[in-house]
Amino acid sequence: MNALSEEVKQLIIDTLDLEDIEPADIDYEDALFVDGLGLDSIDALELGVAIKKAYDVKIDNNSEDSKKHFYSVKTLCEFIAANRG
Amino acid sequence: MKFTIKKCVAWGGGLTTDQDWQEFAQKEKELSLEQELPALKQMPAMQRRRLSPFAKLSLHCALSAAEDCLATVPSVFASRHGDLQKTSKLISDVAAKEVLSPTQFGLSVHNAVGGLFSIYTGNKAPLSAISAGEDTFFVAILDAVSKMNYNAYPQILLVYTEAQVPEIYAQYVAQEEYSMSCALLIEPVQSALASECEEDKAVFELTLSNKEQGDKPAGDDENPHMQALDFLHFYYSGVEQAEVVSKRHKWQFKRTTC
Repeated sequence: MNALSEEVKQLIIDTLDLEDIEPADIDYEDALFVDGLGLDSIDALELGVAIKKAYDVKIDNNSEDSKKHFYSVKTLCEFIAANRG
Repeated sequence: MKFTIKKCVAWGGGLTTDQDWQEFAQKEKELSLEQELPALKQMPAMQRRRLSPFAKLSLHCALSAAEDCLATVPSVFASRHGDLQKTSKLISDVAAKEVLSPTQFGLSVHNAVGGLFSIYTGNKAPLSAISAGEDTFFVAILDAVSKMNYNAYPQILLVYTEAQVPEIYAQYVAQEEYSMSCALLIEPVQSALASECEEDKAVFELTLSNKEQGDKPAGDDENPHMQALDFLHFYYSGVEQAEVVSKRHKWQFKRTTC
């Protein structure tokens, strides 16, 4: 899980052009969107595409579940680990 | 069509300051292909991260030219080719059957930079995005001044930006292109009353006329220079008039005082 979380953090930084942010700056359990890291809905779409490409895992962007999966690095990792091809 | 220019800000071709452009107009400095981009440090990093070089050039000039009326000024954004680097990357992805990046897609439309400007400044005034071939810059002035006069706006912002086209399109571009942006804060000529007229304030007049035989470039040839650069040369040199001929039109610029 640890290696995957580092990978996902780096994927978030690279995909979303987060200048000046290091993987260590992203908390494992904190919210990624709005109040946490401050990502927005376009970032969610972008991240969905990147995760699909990297892990062949499709997250349905409009479902209630997707909000849970996108909540933090932790929830994303759990979802990827359970569904990756 | 007459108007005044409250502020002119240009960046590109290695020239970034008023001083640079004055030296360019005096032929003391030449344009280069150097691509130094404005830092835009005033923008929060979370908004700045999505800006392409094209958007950075535009926003730097727009924000500097309209700094006293950012939240209220109506605007015209103009570009001949738009952010073609972005668009051509998307087209390549379509051809390769790749999934398109939602962010790149959203920011590749012609009015994307105007949208970014509006979001950042909270400006809800009318905004349009236009393109008119090689005549884009002067047509943008025509558009901006017409809108300002018709709606009795106290001012209007014109932002013209061009980025060098991607390699694959270069063969279709006849002009010598530089990545550049130029923003003008345009105001009406206040009044014919001399008492209201600021002394020595320059009044500009742009006239569009038919191309005549003997005008250069002739036939279907384009002006070898970008119109915006012809304008900047005229603006900073202080000469009283300039004539610019394009493939289709003849434009005359005059400078008087009111």
